[in-house]
Amino acid sequence: MRTVIVGAGQAGRRTAELLRGLDAEREILLIGEEAEPPYDRPPLSKEILLGEKQPPGLMQRAAGAYAEQRIELLLGCRVTGIDLAARRLDADDGERVPFDTLVLATGARARRLRIPGAEDPRVLTLRSMADARALGARLRPGLRLAVAGAGLIGLEVAASATKLGCLVTVLEAADRVMARCVPEATSALLDGWHREAGVALHLSCPLLSITPGEASLRLSTGLGDIEADLLLVAIGAVPNDELARQAGLPVEDGILVDESGRTSHAQVFAAGEVARIWRPALGQHVRYETWQVAQHQPVAVAHALCGAERPYDEIPWHWTNQYGRNIQLLGAHRAGLEWIARAEGDRQTVIGLDGDARVQGAVLIDNGRDATPLRRLIASGKQMERARLRDGSVALRQLC
Amino acid sequence: MPESWHPVAPADSFEDDAAKVVQIGETRIAVFRLENDFFAVSDVCTHEYALLSEGFCENGKIECPLHQACFDIRTGKALDEPAEVDLPTYPTRIENGVVQLQFDAG
Repeated sequence: MRTVIVGAGQAGRRTAELLRGLDAEREILLIGEEAEPPYDRPPLSKEILLGEKQPPGLMQRAAGAYAEQRIELLLGCRVTGIDLAARRLDADDGERVPFDTLVLATGARARRLRIPGAEDPRVLTLRSMADARALGARLRPGLRLAVAGAGLIGLEVAASATKLGCLVTVLEAADRVMARCVPEATSALLDGWHREAGVALHLSCPLLSITPGEASLRLSTGLGDIEADLLLVAIGAVPNDELARQAGLPVEDGILVDESGRTSHAQVFAAGEVARIWRPALGQHVRYETWQVAQHQPVAVAHALCGAERPYDEIPWHWTNQYGRNIQLLGAHRAGLEWIARAEGDRQTVIGLDGDARVQGAVLIDNGRDATPLRRLIASGKQMERARLRDGSVALRQLC
Repeated sequence: MPESWHPVAPADSFEDDAAKVVQIGETRIAVFRLENDFFAVSDVCTHEYALLSEGFCENGKIECPLHQACFDIRTGKALDEPAEVDLPTYPTRIENGVVQLQFDAG
């Protein structure tokens, strides 16, 4: 039995290692396009930009660690096609790679700006270690850095660059920061941290065009022109689902899979953020761009590869670190929730209730200890008393 | 070599599922009561820097407040990823009603 995993990022590594833990015998081949051994991405917008070489959060093992686990690691190799009938991959070096079962863990790539001037070499994106090193090498005191997009990555880069002494301007088309995933009060909190640190934050301010000059970039925005030495485009990610589409697998902004990570083809699976996963409770497929899904959805995939079902049914969770503060986001952040704040000094938890007073989501500010009781409250669907939720002296676990 | 026992807190001052933290030099140690026994482990997650005493504690397990790695308080054992390295543990005893832990600097 030979399992081939395409994509040697976090989800690929986790699938390979979990699979080895479940099955000592099978051949496991992990193929990555980058020259880097697998790594987790959260440090790229923080520690790597700040000059750390091997922050522990990378979870980057030496290439030799894979041989010890009898996982064959093939780096710098791009898979160009899948022949499902012949159970074979084509690689860019002309190699043909046979498989019995296949896992696509190809991740996502940075979304590009489609406006004039976006091809200038001073316009960068941040997705890979190479991207982070290239960006980090250019950040220096006094550099005028513009960031298009006040999402998680844009804001983390703004915080890191400010710490390095750059003069940072953030341009956001929406009327608040991180609008996609936090309630208004949390946007306001983040907004305040950035402005206090000296970031020029322009909201409702889309970037319209880029005019590359010899000395700098001129950025035309909805609110006038800005001069910048460097522009980071941080406007989201696009799943790398083309291989699956070309092979005839169902794809809708991500590879459609069941709760075990299986595609429409019984021997082909998708892992991590390229997967659009069936969520029975929601009655739809959902794609997640989080460390969590890359870490834990491969548990379902590895089990299914061994003939055991361990459906993926986690409550969505992610986090951001900015200015030494940690914000964790749990569950749903849709419009229409009523947000209730609980404070214990600087630690704060904001809880989102639906119309039936059931917990749907939460924001934890330097308060990660609340995550587990809140997960239980969300999963239980229990109706809550608002006054008890607000009371910081009542431990959340007592409300479970 | 002198015995290096360090006082932590009176045994009757411990609350369930809440650590008492002592700092000895650079080392932070979290001490827990589980029923009538006391256990001392490093307060710092072995994955990324985070204080375990700020995490959620239940049924003899402490959960890192950043990425939810769990450790067994009795043995220091890392129970799941992303932590892969066990926590250092330290012996404890009670002297005159006060919990002490043993720690040898260097």
